[in-house]
Amino acid sequence: MKRQSWGIALAVAAGGLIVGTTQVTTTGASSPGATVTLTVGLQQDLDTPNVTAGYLVASYELWNLQYATLTDKAANDFATIPGLAESWTASNDGLTYTYTLRDGLKWSDDQPLTAEDVAWTINTSRDQVWLNHSAVTANLTAVALDDRTVEITSAVPDPKLPTMDVYILPKHIWEEPAAGDVTTYEALDGVGSGPFTLKEWKPGQEWTMEANPNYWQGVAAIDQVVFRLYTDGGAMAAALENGEIDAAHNLPAELFVEMSKHVPSPDLRDGEQGIVTVAGEQGGFTELAMNGMAGGLGDGHPALLDIDVRHAVALAINRDELFERVALGIGTQRDTLGVSPNTEWNPEIPADQQLNYDPAKANELLDNGGYLDTDGDGVREMPDGSRSLTFRYAERSESTQAEGIRELVTGWLAEVGIATEVSVYDDTQLTDIIASGEYDMFVWGWTPFVDPDTLLSYFKCDQVTTDVANPLYNDANWCSPEYDALYAEQNQELDHARRVEIVHEMLTLFHNESTYVVLYHDAETQAYRTDRFEGWLRQPADIGPVLFSNSSPTYYNLKPLAGGTGDDSGDSSTAMTILLIAGGVAVLAAAGFVVIRSRSRRDERD
Amino acid sequence: MSVEADLPLASPRSIRWSRRRASLAETGRRIRKDRLAVIALLVLIGFVLLAIITPWITDRADFNAINTGNNPTNQPPNGDYLLGTDRYGRSVALQLMWGARVSLFVGFVATVLTIVIGVLIGLAAGFFGGWIDALLMRITDWFLVIPFLPTAIVLAAVLERSLWTVVLVIGITSWPSSARLVRSQVLSVRERLYVDRARALGAGRLHIVGRHILPNVTPLILASATLAVPISILTETTLSFLGLGDPTSISWGGMLDQAQQSSAVTAGHWWYYLPPGIAIMLVVLAFTIFGRALEEVLDPRLRAR
Amino acid sequence: MRAGFVIRKCIGAISTLAFVVVFNFFLFRIVNRDPVNSMFRGRNLKPEKLAELRRKFNLDGSKWDQFVAYLRQLLHGDLGYSLKGFRPVATVIGETLWPTVLLVGTSTFLAMIGITIGYRAGWRRGSKFDTTATSLSMLTYSMPEFWIGMVFLGLFSAKLGWFPVGGLEDPGSHATGLTKWLDQLHHMLLPATVLGLAYVGEYMIVARSAMIETLNEDYLQLARAKGMRDDEVRRRHAVPNARLPVVSLSAINFGFIFGGAIAVESIFSWPGIGQATYLAVRGPDLPMLQGLFLLISAGVILANLVADVLYGKLDPRVAGR
Repeated sequence: MKRQSWGIALAVAAGGLIVGTTQVTTTGASSPGATVTLTVGLQQDLDTPNVTAGYLVASYELWNLQYATLTDKAANDFATIPGLAESWTASNDGLTYTYTLRDGLKWSDDQPLTAEDVAWTINTSRDQVWLNHSAVTANLTAVALDDRTVEITSAVPDPKLPTMDVYILPKHIWEEPAAGDVTTYEALDGVGSGPFTLKEWKPGQEWTMEANPNYWQGVAAIDQVVFRLYTDGGAMAAALENGEIDAAHNLPAELFVEMSKHVPSPDLRDGEQGIVTVAGEQGGFTELAMNGMAGGLGDGHPALLDIDVRHAVALAINRDELFERVALGIGTQRDTLGVSPNTEWNPEIPADQQLNYDPAKANELLDNGGYLDTDGDGVREMPDGSRSLTFRYAERSESTQAEGIRELVTGWLAEVGIATEVSVYDDTQLTDIIASGEYDMFVWGWTPFVDPDTLLSYFKCDQVTTDVANPLYNDANWCSPEYDALYAEQNQELDHARRVEIVHEMLTLFHNESTYVVLYHDAETQAYRTDRFEGWLRQPADIGPVLFSNSSPTYYNLKPLAGGTGDDSGDSSTAMTILLIAGGVAVLAAAGFVVIRSRSRRDERD
Repeated sequence: MSVEADLPLASPRSIRWSRRRASLAETGRRIRKDRLAVIALLVLIGFVLLAIITPWITDRADFNAINTGNNPTNQPPNGDYLLGTDRYGRSVALQLMWGARVSLFVGFVATVLTIVIGVLIGLAAGFFGGWIDALLMRITDWFLVIPFLPTAIVLAAVLERSLWTVVLVIGITSWPSSARLVRSQVLSVRERLYVDRARALGAGRLHIVGRHILPNVTPLILASATLAVPISILTETTLSFLGLGDPTSISWGGMLDQAQQSSAVTAGHWWYYLPPGIAIMLVVLAFTIFGRALEEVLDPRLRAR
Repeated sequence: MRAGFVIRKCIGAISTLAFVVVFNFFLFRIVNRDPVNSMFRGRNLKPEKLAELRRKFNLDGSKWDQFVAYLRQLLHGDLGYSLKGFRPVATVIGETLWPTVLLVGTSTFLAMIGITIGYRAGWRRGSKFDTTATSLSMLTYSMPEFWIGMVFLGLFSAKLGWFPVGGLEDPGSHATGLTKWLDQLHHMLLPATVLGLAYVGEYMIVARSAMIETLNEDYLQLARAKGMRDDEVRRRHAVPNARLPVVSLSAINFGFIFGGAIAVESIFSWPGIGQATYLAVRGPDLPMLQGLFLLISAGVILANLVADVLYGKLDPRVAGR
């Protein structure tokens, strides 16, 4: 009894080998007429399909596809273009906009999409402070004038208008959940107005979206999109290479670089096998922040109040080497922080104001400031000799680049006589430490929205935390009335060119203060296969990602290639595999059994 | 050989010591007969020596990314780099050597903590008996039943990232078995005649514990400690791999985490994840073999077989 | 007598569970951490909204109030909300239960092959079979299970391409019946083998020493003297007596395999409790971690209880005590 089970298990294990070998030979069969499926690999699951509760990047991709917005964003440059609304007019004071919806709009469940849905979404999200809506709708009031006309009034001048990029939800589905705690709604209804709607979610594995037959631009060329979760980035890269998936988001940097080398040429002919890698920028960046102590909380190192010390820190860091060795050259080097995926907001810092690697100058600044190494231990002391220039350096345990950044940055600082004490925190711990002001420097990053206002607002004086229980966003504890005045100005400036100018001025000011040393702008590491689909769009053009971009225009634009395979697995070949497996298992089970039997005989004999 | 016989005037103290020496010699002799245990011991000594001399023969700064800018990255083993290099051009061999220090350190210190907690609780329970015993054993049972690794993981996830956290977490989660062992030994030793005699002579409790009970349970504690070290090392490895170790000091588990983070497995950088794994395996195997041999020699019940 | 034994064991299990509940709650509250702040970093939420969210995650009021609220929740089977998407922890765990039961079940079954090997090795102590089996067991016991996983993944999936690199089934697969079953089997073989391999040694060693212990019993000598065949003596007399320690080991190992599943599932992207734990640790999603820990502990406590009762049934001496 026991003996047999052993034999069979052995056989099963061995049978697995056969499973594998046959599988390799039977992939890639084509079956015309089958569902056209795009499979995308990613490393993050949805947190929830509920747009009032989720906040992970993965979920935004779902909502981008499922919910159309009043105005769209051009794939190239985020220009505001008609979406659900075909046109709009502004009032003279610029506070009220009247949008006209397209004719005959329908939800994916065939219910009509009306101005009432729009008004309800805007007003309810404002009242209930929905996570992903309230930033835009906080000051808005919407009124449905008739089925196709909605009037939106802002309480304050808002340069973001007429852009209305909030997800419009179907009132007939959401009214009931919104009567209670809307965040607890499962939101698996799959009713939307975008090109694809949620069909099925298998948490921890994948989610599937199917083409919406009622999409206002017409039904998409691909029938469904499967988003598949890989906890291991290497596994995802392998899946892309062997064709299990068509595209991948967030590839490990090493493999991404490796893959980029293998790409034969960017202009592949139809059907030719190849993988195109995309380093997509969206304005996200990694910075070394220093404690400005404006809130009066905590115990930041007093030397950091000296702008020369902050400059010395910036000058000591070889950002070129950091970018090449840690970021592996993926992304871009910029002097200032990213406030938008749109690079028009990034100013050019004049050469004489740039803080590029110059340890000699860093030493000079520190020497002149009186920060000398008086006790000869290699670390400088404060001018009054009270304490050494030893800074607490905090990093995130979640970051895969933290180790490289730490070894390099602390090494360079040591070379100019600044010592560091490293601590590693998870995000919750680090947020608390920043809120309490008990830090000297930390490495973290931000990813901006399309409009620069939100990110700019973080560095206002009123965003400095003064009460630990109510942490605000100014994580560098930095305050400048001049910056605040410029912020207020751009916030109400309706002339775009002038607004860009003001923002440039703000960012230059922030750069020159050296509160943040922007180490580099990150890029999303993505890649796609060229053998099955064409029409991949980068947003913004040339530098942006193809997937998980701001408004995800790629999916609707994709067309299956002639000669490309429709579905991933042909049914007949699967059946053949099964028979082979079953046969293999049976043979091996028998063989294993015989072996065990004969061995047990031998045992008895001796 | 027989020391006692030659020294008729020896004090009771020296007799006791010479007896101990003799029993130690006996233990050594028995172990020496077990060839595998000897090899295991040699392997262990080798690793410990390596860990000790590493700072003298190599420089920690040599595999700090700040100094490896000119090294080739992700190189397979070659003449210059015996075990190749990682993504920052750092020598894997150097990391392995320095990692031995951290892994062995955590293994030893965590075991000491485990044993100290276990011995204190076991002694207290066994010696005092009554409600103290009942209470302590209930707590021990609780800790025995709740799953070891998940407990360690939640503890480490909640506390700050440092080597001491790892040590503490291992100590807190793995003391119960040694507490039980010590308690049962104390119970059996306590019943032996000489403790009664000592008590009859008016010896204090501390005296009884220190002079009679501890020396008798020491061999077993030693054996169980030897078997606890590999478990501590494996636990440290797992915690580090899950990102709960101290990322600022490289251990073998931390190396595996780094390898995983830089996709060494799928990229085919086998030199990055095979050596730490093999090192862990060798050390754990050696400790286990040696520990079992020790246990067999020291535990009369096992020896009878 | 028997009922008394079972009741005693049940009370023991309940007290352990109570301990876990208290330990679990206060562990997550010793460190005064407020996940709400980090979660909504950069979201521009008003303080009122943040306060509302704290209420939702049972983070407001005194520790005692929170504890009472926590107990009340537990009694209703409510494990609170995950920080990710506010989904109920119980729901999220429920979704991961089946893949883990499948994987842990299969690997436990594979690991139990060690019992058979162990009995045989113990019976023929010192034979070539014994030496080989013991050495191999020690070897697999000494490897971290996730490392075996890395090596297997590197060799069989990445290099040879025999197995899928991870997951429960093929992407976009809507297969049913046998096809689905085989697809999952294909995905499961590697992780299950890894977990099985990591624990087969322990079963083997325990079964082996249990067998050796019974070898010394008089009745075995008697049975042999009576002229019973060797094989028969082993099956009829030795194995049943060597079963006891193996039963209790299985319960303890259940907890260990769960632990091992955390790293192995994450390596193989297996959407079970282990991967959920890994993701919760990396977040960190504290309410999720709290719920997972409670659930895993409860499972292990239950397994121990079953083992204890079974032990009593197999060995009347125990129950009588």
